[in-house]
Amino acid sequence: MAVKTVSSPFGGKARTRALVALALLGSSFPRELSRLLTAPVSAISRALYGLERDALVAGRLVGRTRVFMLNPAYFAKRELQVYLARLADADTELLAHVESLRRRPRRSGKPL
Amino acid sequence: MKLNTRASLSTVALTVGAVLRRRGITAVLTGGACASLHTGGAYVSNDADFVVRGAVRQAALDSALGELGFERQGDRYVHPRVSFYVEFPPGPLAIGSDLDIHPVEVDRGAGPALVLSPTDSCRDRLAAFYHWRDRQSLRLAVSIARAQPVDFKVIEKWSRAEGSLEAYAEFLRELTRPKRTRVRRV
Repeated sequence: MAVKTVSSPFGGKARTRALVALALLGSSFPRELSRLLTAPVSAISRALYGLERDALVAGRLVGRTRVFMLNPAYFAKRELQVYLARLADADTELLAHVESLRRRPRRSGKPL
Repeated sequence: MKLNTRASLSTVALTVGAVLRRRGITAVLTGGACASLHTGGAYVSNDADFVVRGAVRQAALDSALGELGFERQGDRYVHPRVSFYVEFPPGPLAIGSDLDIHPVEVDRGAGPALVLSPTDSCRDRLAAFYHWRDRQSLRLAVSIARAQPVDFKVIEKWSRAEGSLEAYAEFLRELTRPKRTRVRRV
């Protein structure tokens, strides 16, 4: 059995961290989460589709990208959000990554 | 009972529901198929969603659906002569954050099947409108409320708990608006 250094109460590290990240970001997509969590896109996609089947997250197509968020119709959404916020408090590395991410809009054509 | 290509979604859903009930599996018809049932087929979904109450082994579902000719393909059941498929979304049976759901029995010849009541089916569609701003779901909720007696007090109380009173007011406005009719070109 492998040494486990981080708790993953939602079944796996990728599932748990993807959920925490979605709670912090509101919504995201596999490639962004992959960069944020420094995990392969395939692992993040697998985790998200598993979470979707468990009804914890919901995804919708925006253009060609599938954007995920915590399922707003999940019966325990409020309790889940509180729990995830607590988990986020403990994951300082993830918090730092999220805070370094620019998500506010940038006017088209404005130089980077 | 044999299902064929001409079977409506309601017929398929109620037949499946009746077989599940006869096998002692408590499964409740929800979603679009349930809304279709309460609106007399005003809306046609591609699938029939059943939420199972309690623990059920996959082999029991395979056997029950197999009795009607359905075969499992991944996480859904398909039939060679029926265009609708059957799915079992994960429970619990809930509408938004409300877990206190009381299904009703409907029997249209195949035996009793458990379905959401018109009020709960209406709330189920409204949940999609409240959370996703899905106006197709709003239209369907309106159709249910027009076709069936629904408990507006229950819907209002639940809408308040969901923090969606403004959207509920929009639902009421749509309900009082005259039915849209298609204009025929001459």
